[in-house]
Amino acid sequence: MAYHTDIQISICGSAGDGTIAVGDIFKRAMAHVGYRVIAFDQYPAEIRGFGKCIARTRVATSRVYSMKGYSDVLVSLNDMHAIPHVGEVRNYGALIYDSAPMSAVAEGAHISGHLKPGHIPYALPMREVSELATGANRSRNFVALGFVAGLYQLPQDAFHHAIAAKFESKAAAVTKSALAAFDSGFEAGAASYQFDDVRIDAPRGRKNAHEARMMTGNGAIVQGCLDAGIETFFGYPITPATGIMERLAVEMPRRGARLVQTEDEIAAISAAIGAGYAGSRAATATSGPGLSLMTEMMGLGVMAEVPVVIFVSQRGGPSTGLPTKTEQSDLNLAVWGGHGDAGRIVLAPTNVEGCRRCAGRAFELAEQFQVPVIVLVDLYLSNRYETVFLQDENEFLPKDWKQTATPRAGYRRYELTTDGVSPRCIPGEVGGIHTATGLEHDEYGNPSDSARTHTLMTEKRYEKLQAAIKHPGINFTKRFGDSGKVEVGLLTWGSTFGEALEAMLLAQKEGIRCAATKVVMLSPFPVRPVLRFYKDCQQILVPELNYTGQFAKLLSGEIVLPVTRISHTTGAPLDVSTLLEAIRKAARKHRRQHNTT
Amino acid sequence: MTSSTHHVVLGNGIAGNHAASVIREREPDARITLVSAGALLFYNRYDLPNVFRGRQHWVDYLVHPPEYYESRNITLRRKTQVTELDTRTQTLSLAHRETLHYDKLLIATGGHAYIPERLLDYTKLMLGFHNFIVAMQVQKSVRKGGTVIMLGGDVMGIDLARTIIATGHRVILVLDPRTFWPHDVTPSDRVKYLQALTNMGVEVQDSGRVERIEMINGTGSGRRVFLENGGHIRGDVVMPFYGIVPTVDFLATSGIDMERGILVNPQLQTVRDNIWAAGDVCQIWSAEHNAYRFFYGYRNVKTMGEVAAHNMTGKQATFTSTVNEKLVVNRDGSLYSPFWEHD
Repeated sequence: MAYHTDIQISICGSAGDGTIAVGDIFKRAMAHVGYRVIAFDQYPAEIRGFGKCIARTRVATSRVYSMKGYSDVLVSLNDMHAIPHVGEVRNYGALIYDSAPMSAVAEGAHISGHLKPGHIPYALPMREVSELATGANRSRNFVALGFVAGLYQLPQDAFHHAIAAKFESKAAAVTKSALAAFDSGFEAGAASYQFDDVRIDAPRGRKNAHEARMMTGNGAIVQGCLDAGIETFFGYPITPATGIMERLAVEMPRRGARLVQTEDEIAAISAAIGAGYAGSRAATATSGPGLSLMTEMMGLGVMAEVPVVIFVSQRGGPSTGLPTKTEQSDLNLAVWGGHGDAGRIVLAPTNVEGCRRCAGRAFELAEQFQVPVIVLVDLYLSNRYETVFLQDENEFLPKDWKQTATPRAGYRRYELTTDGVSPRCIPGEVGGIHTATGLEHDEYGNPSDSARTHTLMTEKRYEKLQAAIKHPGINFTKRFGDSGKVEVGLLTWGSTFGEALEAMLLAQKEGIRCAATKVVMLSPFPVRPVLRFYKDCQQILVPELNYTGQFAKLLSGEIVLPVTRISHTTGAPLDVSTLLEAIRKAARKHRRQHNTT
Repeated sequence: MTSSTHHVVLGNGIAGNHAASVIREREPDARITLVSAGALLFYNRYDLPNVFRGRQHWVDYLVHPPEYYESRNITLRRKTQVTELDTRTQTLSLAHRETLHYDKLLIATGGHAYIPERLLDYTKLMLGFHNFIVAMQVQKSVRKGGTVIMLGGDVMGIDLARTIIATGHRVILVLDPRTFWPHDVTPSDRVKYLQALTNMGVEVQDSGRVERIEMINGTGSGRRVFLENGGHIRGDVVMPFYGIVPTVDFLATSGIDMERGILVNPQLQTVRDNIWAAGDVCQIWSAEHNAYRFFYGYRNVKTMGEVAAHNMTGKQATFTSTVNEKLVVNRDGSLYSPFWEHD
């Protein structure tokens, strides 16, 4: 039987150690040779300083859906930061550390004193090896990376390729130094006896392996925007959404599109709404604090029925909160934020490929239903790398597919129609003169405070959202696992779905009948498929990364049935083992109640 | 003793592990740190010849699983080399530039292979059998039906020779005055024991000392050993078995009394307060011999660990050897050493 490789390597260091850089090279090299990779980096909020950085990479021979709750290998580039993570390494897993620190360390400050008996230590004089190889000790991160590659007999060429690509824009000496340090580490690793039981077998051949790409959630959002033909983007930097604007700033000008960094988030949403009104495929990106500022203007988009896409990457809150930690606590703001009955579409992709799909479809939905569309992700998904196999780049509808109506005499921009979607025209079109306003208005756009108008127009704005739920391009919900009746069901959204799916697969192996459903469209809420799932499940678990159970409460507003909330607010993704234990507990409870085994 | 007493045990062998276990039994709340230069948990080196019988995973040799140390709250510091002992401040300097404070210290660092000075230039062409990695290297270096050239032939080597021969290989033993070490062998007994070796299938080579060692054809595999009489023998590996010497380099500036090993009284205490020694590293005062002497063998070493642990925790125990140190020729004509006995 072929061995199934599924290992997770964590590299932990201080800002400035090059932790994230070598983590990036590791994942790219592994993806390059055909492994499926998921990676998630954690870094400090401070731009400069000595905060903790961890690059975690999961490498597998078949598809995996989340980070593992434990690591098989931990590389310490900074013991102070790595010591708290020693416990994450499993028995007979490896710890690789510097055996020759630059200065004396206090008793207990060296990682060797914190290893568990089941850990396998590899003490490597990283600084010394780096100095011998490059004349300086700065490249010890590459020494460590080389050691890992040598120890586990990984293809050296793939790493050379990834290192060269990483420093493509730097001076040749930088690449040379990195390669020399890597090779020295590789030699040391290859000469070491492997006592741990970490196995990395050759990846399975896959026909289209060469089409695999390493991409983050933010990168996939950018790809979705580009594939959908985004024309204008207005944004103000904020972690963890900044990466979207950074990459668009490179790509959009090459395609004749425009990106403007505005003075703040209010200006960004205002400009994006203005561009959308003018017929441009327009978007902005922000995080929770920025979304707070945008909510007022989003109301204008709802009222004036202007298509605009808002990418929101959540981080720990409230206020400035935890800028570099993940959380799913902006759901309420995304779905309900703002004054008045301001219905909007909210999509929450669950993986990197989904980020691209939702980003592209968001423009279609915004234009088809003339409404702001929020694509809600979180830091974990924004920054998580996955190997992806992208679909046809032309899969999204061109912007003129149903954007405008031919103006005619008596043109009513906000005409009441059966599905609530009115004929839209672009300003400047002959015969298309109308008023667009934040005030309540009649079918022509003229301000009106009549009770009947407000009632009809409010209904219209919600009716079109119900029409949106029939959009054929998106699976608004999707069920995985056992079909029919199950003991335990997991109802999840956003990045948490990966952990839920992994936990479900493990629970199935233990004989528990279970299923997981992801809800991709949070607003309008896909009541019917969720209700069907409910009816199949003896117990429903709702895991999410917030304290108050925002998704569970959203559910309870739509479907009044009991659920078990699993709330997690550590700033880190959910642990698969925590979820698995919750599934077991729920299954035991169900079996006790029904006296079955 | 107070619950905060920090017992540090240097050495992850029989004496060190047994001592740590006894200390834990006697002082449930004490802090115990076991320091090891190696990467592995305590494994049974007496069983290592079994690599020739196909037991080639180190986990198979473990005496205790990882949980043993966790349940006893014994901190294991592996890949940790002690470079210096400061008895005044009661601290150990570690190679990775950390210092470790102790309240009570047991030195059980054992010994390492002795290589005669004339052969030091050929160290890289020889393989010992002192740890799992080297044992695996030896096993992989010997071809099926191949030849092992054993130099010296202490009892650890002879023990290994039994397995190597039993698994279809040849053993050529180049004799030396240290053959049968650490047994004291009279000239008349030596003849008898050499015959026993021959009976066991060992090919005894008594053509003088080793002059030099060469790699055959520079290929990396195969060795040629040149003897004083001008002849030479060929084999897959050359293994030195000239006995062991105590591992005490880090004690050079400690002020602890030493000859070849650490000198201790029958309570295994050194001349320094709060420092004891046990196992192959120490020479124990023997009133019977009116001298400090080594005591070898699994049972002796284990007893030393126990005695030291008792004395570190307030008891007054005395070491007494229970091992018969005489070589025996079995009825079938083969040789038997009591130092081969182990749990």
